[in-house]
Amino acid sequence: MSKRCRDHCDSDSPQKRTRTRDDIGPVDRLSRLSNELLLHILSFLPVSSLNVCQRLSHRFHALGGDSEIWKRQYYSQWVRPRARRLASSRRTTLPAKADYSPKVATWFDHGHLAQEGNWKQQYRLRHNWSKGLCRVTEVEFPQPPCPPTLIRFCAGVVFTADSAHGLRAWTTRDPACCLAKIPLSAPLEPSPTIPTALAVSQIQDKIEISVGLENGHFSLFVLNLQTSRLDFQSSHVGCSDASITAMALSWPYLMVVSQHKDLTLYNLRPGSHRAEETEAPEPCQVASLKADNIVAPMTLSLRVSSFEIVATIVYSFFHIGCGWSLGIQELRLGKDGQQLDSRLATTVDSQYGLRPLQSRKWRHSAAECNQPPIDPGAPSIIHQQPPTSMSYSHPYLLTSHADNTLTMYLVVSTSERLFVQGGRRLWGHTSSVSAVQVTNRGKAVSVSSRGDEIRIWELELAISSLSSRKFFEENGVQLNAGNKDGESEPEPGLGTIHQHLGSVKVEPQESTPIGFDEERVLLLREKTGTQLLECYDFT
Amino acid sequence: MSSITLTSSDGVDISVERTTAERSVLIKNMLEDLGDSGEAIPIPNVNEAVLKKVIEWCEHHKHDPPSASDDDDNRRKTTDIDEWDQKFMQVDQEMLFEIILAANYLDIKALLDVGCKTVANMIKGKSPEEIRKTFNIQNDFTSEEEDQIRRENEWAEDR
Repeated sequence: MSKRCRDHCDSDSPQKRTRTRDDIGPVDRLSRLSNELLLHILSFLPVSSLNVCQRLSHRFHALGGDSEIWKRQYYSQWVRPRARRLASSRRTTLPAKADYSPKVATWFDHGHLAQEGNWKQQYRLRHNWSKGLCRVTEVEFPQPPCPPTLIRFCAGVVFTADSAHGLRAWTTRDPACCLAKIPLSAPLEPSPTIPTALAVSQIQDKIEISVGLENGHFSLFVLNLQTSRLDFQSSHVGCSDASITAMALSWPYLMVVSQHKDLTLYNLRPGSHRAEETEAPEPCQVASLKADNIVAPMTLSLRVSSFEIVATIVYSFFHIGCGWSLGIQELRLGKDGQQLDSRLATTVDSQYGLRPLQSRKWRHSAAECNQPPIDPGAPSIIHQQPPTSMSYSHPYLLTSHADNTLTMYLVVSTSERLFVQGGRRLWGHTSSVSAVQVTNRGKAVSVSSRGDEIRIWELELAISSLSSRKFFEENGVQLNAGNKDGESEPEPGLGTIHQHLGSVKVEPQESTPIGFDEERVLLLREKTGTQLLECYDFT
Repeated sequence: MSSITLTSSDGVDISVERTTAERSVLIKNMLEDLGDSGEAIPIPNVNEAVLKKVIEWCEHHKHDPPSASDDDDNRRKTTDIDEWDQKFMQVDQEMLFEIILAANYLDIKALLDVGCKTVANMIKGKSPEEIRKTFNIQNDFTSEEEDQIRRENEWAEDR
């Protein structure tokens, strides 16, 4: 260290000698410091000052954008506080087996960020999400699709499927141009087909798409991300003549639920050990089950690990005591289709507050018995109407309701048991919430049917505050469209949508009109006959 | 209580207590390498005035616990400077930057941090124009470039 310092300063010293003598006129002493020292100074500055510094000169522009500095800011702003919260909630609930937090590993999974390389951009993105700042672009479909339109969002590509135009892919970077389109049915089938379910799954540089049709068939497509080529792969007859109501795809497994409540799991590439086959093999049916009383809305999820497939069906049902509740059935299957396990859990206990996270903490910290026992006779969460939509991405389960709220549960699935925990209502919407979508990173986006509300939720926050007494103050972040080009109209996009949002059509089943990824939220809206794709860009 | 002699760049010998001088990692390492020969140690990059100032700081901080430094996060979070250091840093800009350079050269981390924090505090909360004026920084942007960068960086200014 000392050697390096000496060398470093020795090389600086000629410059320094002259400096101390030329005190004629103003001298920019700051800029004469080495980059190393300037960065050291900048590292003490808050984000706002860093941005100001970047405006000083070319040199400061480069230094103020230094990735290491922004990485440090990113960590101290977003990662460390969370780690601390997590650590403290761990401490208070340590002996409790029933308590659960999502794995730290997924929370700290910033590998994908590091690859992007630009921490300033990442910081800004995160900042914008947290403040709900974004830029709205509205794209009217050049050829209005025939409803019902299905929409899915994956790796920056939006897929829409409707009977008139087939399957179309759009890129979010330029939503005005259609990347590729392809008819839904096999080339030789003439009959018009109505899509009823859509599922996508990314594998490396390809996106596999499956479309379920009203006639019980399903077709498989593949989009090559590099060439933007959308190809038809194969079409198959589902297990019955009933229409397909829901699908989940986790390559190479496909789960299909039909109108007759038959659930079928396919392996789309039975000979997966053989490399690169040119012709698509016939999907092999792995398992088939029949359900009795699944009521819409329902949602499917498929998780594939190295040795098993976990298929989850979440459905709503009416419980006499606490109104509409959710049931979760988890099927664990071996790769050969052999059923290893089938488990059922409901949210009823959570709704009665039998396993609320906060009660434990209260008993620990506050006086031991002053806390009135939880009255099991009064459920804390009652829903008189079925949820308007639900979204499950393990471990988060969210439902949206007509009573302006969302309800969040945490699903715990261990090798011993499956249960639901931490029922909690999320407040903030001022009108009926029509759709919600969640990712396994704990970010959720919800839309209300009336008004101009889209809200973003960081569920990690909600969960960690479940275990502390502090009330979850955040009501989600409401989006602000920060487009510059509409100064006469303070909130473009949002303002205009306001009048028309009443007509947002929410398909009751499977077709949540929202999709989002790290950078954008996409929303499909219907506005007086035309359909709009709205892109809320947070970069 | 042994003392050693340092020779400044302008050839002035200054006698310092050894423990005080060892706040500087550079001097500490040199003493370890050379042994206690009693010879004056040349400090070729620091003149008398600055060296005296630096020694003053080391004298005041000689009993500080070895820096609990590595909690980088906490250290950077605050630009708070303790009162004595604040008074110590009330010098003209030339001296301030000389102290920073000397602290960097002599490898006195805590002093370097105090110096850099002082500069950071001079930057904080100011507009670009005010900062340029404070430090006489030449604006080498064209007005279009400046506009563009201003727009790029607008997002974080509301805090």
